[in-house]
Amino acid sequence: MVKRLYDIVLLFKEYFVVALFLLVSTALLTFSDTPQIRTLRAYSVVAVGLLQDAFSIFPNYFDLRRENAALRSMNLTLADEVSRLREGRLENIRLRSLLGLKERAEHRYIAANVVAKNLQLLRNTITLDVGSNDSVKVNMPIVNEAGLVGKVIMVGSSYCIGQTLLHVDLRVSAKVQRSRVDGILRWDRARTLTLQNVARTYDVTPGDVVITSDYSPFFPEGIRIGVVAETRPIPGSLFQAVDVTPAVDFPSLEEVFVMQYLLDSSRVFLERSAR
Amino acid sequence: MRKVLPDIGFSLLVLLVQTGVVRFLSIGGIVPDLVLLWVVAMAIRRGQIPATTAGFLLGLAQDILSGDGMLGLSALTKTLAGFIAGYFYNENKTLQTMGSYRILLIAGLVSLVHDGLYFLLFLQGSGISWSGSLLDYGVPTTVYTLAVALIPMFAFARKQLA
Repeated sequence: MVKRLYDIVLLFKEYFVVALFLLVSTALLTFSDTPQIRTLRAYSVVAVGLLQDAFSIFPNYFDLRRENAALRSMNLTLADEVSRLREGRLENIRLRSLLGLKERAEHRYIAANVVAKNLQLLRNTITLDVGSNDSVKVNMPIVNEAGLVGKVIMVGSSYCIGQTLLHVDLRVSAKVQRSRVDGILRWDRARTLTLQNVARTYDVTPGDVVITSDYSPFFPEGIRIGVVAETRPIPGSLFQAVDVTPAVDFPSLEEVFVMQYLLDSSRVFLERSAR
Repeated sequence: MRKVLPDIGFSLLVLLVQTGVVRFLSIGGIVPDLVLLWVVAMAIRRGQIPATTAGFLLGLAQDILSGDGMLGLSALTKTLAGFIAGYFYNENKTLQTMGSYRILLIAGLVSLVHDGLYFLLFLQGSGISWSGSLLDYGVPTTVYTLAVALIPMFAFARKQLA
């Protein structure tokens, strides 16, 4: 057997040598972070996405059983929550009409499957099987049942690429739901996200829910982002670091929704004019 | 080993000339690719595996010395160049190939493939036309490299006659 393998290697040694060198060169290229490599990476993500999409027609029986069980349990919890929210909504409508506040617009959602994921890098992205044909546009938020996933950064006709919260370039205007403390949320390569620009004196405690704030140019207010895991005073500063555990479990992300939300252009115009 | 040491020495010399001296021979920003020419010569004289290895190592050295941020690009393109040129290796016709127009045809073909692939990867995401770059830089570089290839071609032709 070994002899046969050796004979095969000897017979095709030129091809083994060139394959080895090409592999090493490609590996070296992937370590670079130049714009060219980023573009090639995007192409490869789409290509892998197409392949995964093609093979996804074969369902995994055990995965489906587990998923069904999880969905049934979630369905029960959500049914209960919907009933309570309905009550809350009715109360909200009554109170809003009493105060004369404007009703918030509802958003449409486009269901999408995650066909490729890139969660090992500094700039983690996901590829979704929806694109401009499905009315997806750049900067539209991506969410799932747990909360905010990220936003769309590149759109093709049938696929788009989303920047996840675990992306060093993404900043999200966020606030603590209980105390309404605002901050800027970012990922700095740690296991958790960090809410920045929060003064030490502000009331933030572990367990507080963090949601998107209406200051954000990309996300509507109120999308759940995560839960405060820890607060630490920053030495020599008036601010505290607030570690936030994301609500979304990125490694197991499979289905998401693209929110058909783009900021009102008149608001953008007004804000830019004021600068 | 006796065969390999001069090749290693000459490879280092070619690398030094390419990175340090060749820019003084620039015509309108175009310089000959001596490293590629040497890889082609290696392929014709020594065969596919030595040429592929030389292409990879010299390309990698060029990537490190140039420091343009795309480590591995020249290594990849020169590995392929050495591999393709290796198909023209014929143990019994080394002198004839080196001393005739065939070396120009092989070097021209390999240079065009090399530059084509190089620009294809290097221009990704830049919005610059690949075909335009190949015409503006790739083809002139190939022509200049072939002009330089005339020197070893005539030298080997004379050796053949002698």
